[in-house]
Amino acid sequence: MPDRRISMLGCLLTAVAFGCSSAVAPASPTQTLTLGAGFTPNALGAPTNLSTTMTFASSAGLPDPVSDVVAYGPAGLSVQVHGVATCERAKLEADGPSGCPAESRVGFGGGVGVFELAGLPVREPYTLDFFLAPQEHGHLAILIYADAVNPVAVQFVLTAREVHGPRPYGFGLAVEVPPVSTVPGAANASVESSFASLGGANIAYYQTIRGKRTLVHIKGLVAPATCPAGGFPFEAIVTFEDGSTSTASYSSPCPSGRP
Amino acid sequence: MRSSAVLRRHHRAIRAATAAGCACAMPAALSVSAVLVATAHAQTVATITPRLSPDRLGATGALSFTIHYADSAANIPPPLRRSILRFPAGLTLEVPRLGSCSVSRLRARGADGCPADSMLGRGHALIEAQVGSQPIAEDVSLWVFLGPLRNLTPTVEILGQGYTPYDERVVLTGTMLPAGGPYGEALSLSIPPISTLPLEPDASIVTFSLTIGAPVQRRAHDANTVRLPAICPQGGFPFAAEFTYADGSSGSSVTTVPCP
Repeated sequence: MPDRRISMLGCLLTAVAFGCSSAVAPASPTQTLTLGAGFTPNALGAPTNLSTTMTFASSAGLPDPVSDVVAYGPAGLSVQVHGVATCERAKLEADGPSGCPAESRVGFGGGVGVFELAGLPVREPYTLDFFLAPQEHGHLAILIYADAVNPVAVQFVLTAREVHGPRPYGFGLAVEVPPVSTVPGAANASVESSFASLGGANIAYYQTIRGKRTLVHIKGLVAPATCPAGGFPFEAIVTFEDGSTSTASYSSPCPSGRP
Repeated sequence: MRSSAVLRRHHRAIRAATAAGCACAMPAALSVSAVLVATAHAQTVATITPRLSPDRLGATGALSFTIHYADSAANIPPPLRRSILRFPAGLTLEVPRLGSCSVSRLRARGADGCPADSMLGRGHALIEAQVGSQPIAEDVSLWVFLGPLRNLTPTVEILGQGYTPYDERVVLTGTMLPAGGPYGEALSLSIPPISTLPLEPDASIVTFSLTIGAPVQRRAHDANTVRLPAICPQGGFPFAAEFTYADGSSGSSVTTVPCP
């Protein structure tokens, strides 16, 4: 397996949003991978939004296509989706995001993809829409609708499945990424950057309860009740198309007054 | 009594400050002579439709106006940061019982936390944000309150409260300023960023509708209201607006409402 290194660049890029406390893990001599993450609001035990960023870079060319991503949040991070609707994968694939109930949305995201055509890199922005799917064997599942429009139209659906990481990590998601072909003769697309914003502290929907239209607040993601010394730990393990992997970690600052 | 004198001064200032209203007689919807179209930059167009009820010179009633923002190049117009609305000379705000509400109180307690006699009107807005692949819209209820005097200048606060998908509250602050003819007063409004989710863009106002005061048959006898000018200039009551957007662009335009 090639020796991989990860730079602090992404940490600097995300420092404004989250306050950077570290982040990097080995990738390859020429490729860098950076992870950033944070809670908004950053309050212990409170409903929150989790925002994450990942940046891929390579001094030798384009980043390798990604085939698998596993990301862990800190132990104690919980998900409460009672009252949230679900979306069927077939419906999302057939009709796009408009085919899913609005109440099944759990997050948004996007980034920049890249592929090589005639020796030149072609960059393309994409968006991500996250919908809660029916549970799979008692585990949470999230559908991710990836949408790129220009210069090449690409739409596909990914499934993120709930996993649990070893201490100090807890709740996590695993996503398999299929090969993304673009145009004939071009290599599969890879990812330069990706961000996601999941949950929120103030998400609410109207439901009819006992015949009365009632505003129901969705807890969604709930931040851990305690924060370990050094901050909330996050980790991402990325597997590339060639089978190599790299791991990046990041510590998000504890709420004010915490270590 | 000194406090009474202060109140009288406040009252006079408010009366002079034609906050926003004008009302045209007419039990029903009144005819608006013209539609105000403001071009901000090459793509953003703001359309303002004022409405006066009742449509009768010197009458007390209500001013309603709707502003619609559209962008020809993007699905959603850029977020609005500042607007200046100019109202016809002679239009006054009638405040029988003086009351005011502070911004901090509004933010903390919402509309129910303010004295009833500080409320000037109601409205609604539609906001949108491009998050993920699609625009997400939210209906927002608006309440307009009289704020405390700032350097003896009347202030106005507009509480925006949306419930779903984001239970969020914002307060717009405004100041009444004198305006040059043919206008009487201007309302200068600051619009704060309307955040959605981390890493996602702020929301934009797509439509914004307010009604200041109320027709006589619908209001309490001591409710705050507006009084129409006693004289209508040739060409109708003039309105004007200027807008500044978050992307740095701006626009302005004028319109008139026909004389009764």
